[in-house]
Amino acid sequence: MGMIHGDDYRESLRRVKPEVYYMGEKIDSVADHPAFIPHINAAALTYDMAWAPEFEELLTTESHLTGEKINLFTHVHHSTNDLVQKVKALRALGQQTGSCFARCVGHDALNAIYSVTYDMDQKNGTEYHKSFVNFLKEVQKEDRFISGAMTDPKGDRSLPPSQQADADQYVHVVERKKDGIVIRGAKAHITGAVNALGHLVMPTTSLKEADADYAVCCYVPVDAPGLVHIFGRQTNDDRKCSGCLMDQGNPEYGIVGGEALVVFDDVFVPREQVFMCGEYDFAFELVERFATAHRQNYGGCKVGLADVLTGATYALAEVQGTATASHIRDKLVEMVHLAETLYCCSIACSCQGYALPAGNFMADPLLANVTKLNVTRYIYEMARIAQDIAGGLLATMPSELDWGNTKVGKYVDKYLKGVTDVPAETRMRLLRLIEGMTCGTALAESMHGAGSPQAQRIMIMRRSNWERKKRLAQKLAKIGEQPKLV
Amino acid sequence: MKVAVKYCGSCNPEIALSDVGHKIERALQEAPGINVVSRRSKPIDVMVILCGCPRACGDKKRIRKRAVHCIVVAGETIDLVPVAEKDLTARVVQKVKSFSSAEN
Ligand SMILES: Cc1cc2nc3c(=O)[nH]c(=O)nc-3n(C[C@H](O)[C@H](O)[C@H](O)COP(=O)(O)OP(=O)(O)OC[C@H]3O[C@@H](n4cnc5c(N)ncnc54)[C@H](O)[C@@H]3O)c2cc1C
Repeated sequence: MGMIHGDDYRESLRRVKPEVYYMGEKIDSVADHPAFIPHINAAALTYDMAWAPEFEELLTTESHLTGEKINLFTHVHHSTNDLVQKVKALRALGQQTGSCFARCVGHDALNAIYSVTYDMDQKNGTEYHKSFVNFLKEVQKEDRFISGAMTDPKGDRSLPPSQQADADQYVHVVERKKDGIVIRGAKAHITGAVNALGHLVMPTTSLKEADADYAVCCYVPVDAPGLVHIFGRQTNDDRKCSGCLMDQGNPEYGIVGGEALVVFDDVFVPREQVFMCGEYDFAFELVERFATAHRQNYGGCKVGLADVLTGATYALAEVQGTATASHIRDKLVEMVHLAETLYCCSIACSCQGYALPAGNFMADPLLANVTKLNVTRYIYEMARIAQDIAGGLLATMPSELDWGNTKVGKYVDKYLKGVTDVPAETRMRLLRLIEGMTCGTALAESMHGAGSPQAQRIMIMRRSNWERKKRLAQKLAKIGEQPKLV
Repeated sequence: MKVAVKYCGSCNPEIALSDVGHKIERALQEAPGINVVSRRSKPIDVMVILCGCPRACGDKKRIRKRAVHCIVVAGETIDLVPVAEKDLTARVVQKVKSFSSAEN
């Protein structure tokens, strides 16, 4: 098969029975609950856009395993062109959804695990890569949506996994059986967890020998016994269940990807779905390769969102009669400058990507980390500008229910109007869209998604050739022995 | 004459690429002697490669190979010659027709 449609994906969600809780209640059908539908719509677009002639060239590719046409989100990159294609696809998707579409995390996990299983087998004579390739073929054939579950709750951050007072603060192996392993712990903030079909579990940090039980990477289907999902709240999420559409801002695709705390309460994983078990010395490689792939993305998807935000801000300025003021135009230009700088970063780290021993390609880690570190600042700055241009109504606007009320609706219409020829409704819709994209949850995603800023700084520190930089300076300043030209 | 349309991927088009594409397809369908076929069918006489910007990502060897002639729309250009967005449809149709009359 290789490629499915959005509705096939929705049906596939109805066929599984994951244990999902939201607002204190067990959810019967994720695919049919208003809290999840926008997130499902966004993920479904990754399927439907792949069939659209306009987007086919970005969202489909050829499997290096079978030669079949597949959805980009199940592909393992085999060239720098592939890496660039991913960034462009993410931007195109972001422009259409104005929100996270969640599939990139699992995609990045596939790429990272593909290469690290190969390296482990080369060193240790294990057979993880063969199992993983079989798994990947299945994923490609079914066009399966999987989440990438790396982040552990982590308890006391000053302590490594094996020294935590509660051993379950990091996912770990509690039993090794002939036919598989049993794992316990939790993964936090997992995007798309409740509307994926399974999770690729990976360690979250570099590990030492004492942490060997925490060196576990495996695939767990969403309805595996012992797996529990607790869906996270988002800013203004009750608007999704209030019957209001306009007040949601982006009712079709929502805000961020829909994250959940995923609890592994002694979950059995069959051997063929285990891709690392005890190889603590490869945990860092896996974390770094996943993080590089994921940080590479943020100048793609977030720039697509920034295109929407900039458009909304410009349109709102027109409605409010400020669009021709020079400071507004300057600020709009600044938004584009910030967004395109991020795009430059993602394109650059992709072009500078390179092959790994398994043959697949990874973006340049230093540049990918610079990309994501910039995202932790520039998206906030764009949001600041959008809020500046929007005015205070962004925070104080009456509900669409009052606008529709027979008694007070006329006042809302009258006093929320900007320029005379545009109805108040247009202004309200734009303001709600901007509110959703810049207030609360959406911003925190740019800060912590794919790692907090310090995680990028640590990678930048590691990847910068400090000695060479010093030598370059010493040469020009004529300090010590004069080094060669290169 | 069999004509197919292929898009670049539309990551961030500088023109309303979908609209332009649909207009071109419609105009070609209405033109006598022109058959709009799937981009995967064989043989294809003319492939119209629609790209949203001058980077022209859709202009690839493997796509060119599928047709006898190619016309590359890349933002507001056709085969590198500047053409305003509003004139793209008419100029593409004109170019397609020029191939057919050259072959007759
Ligand atoms: C919207 C969203 C979506 C996400 N999606 C996913 C997903 O799909 N999959 C996934 O695996 N993860 C996901 N994440 C998790 C994300 O990667 C983490 O939030 C991020 O790595 C930070 O971890 P944390 O939230 O535990 O914060 P912390 O690690 O607690 O960080 C908080 C602060 O403490 C600092 N800090 C942390 N540890 C130390 C230490 N030892 N010493 C000193 N300072 C320290 C950090 O630098 C930071 O400033 C998502 C997060 C968000 C917000």
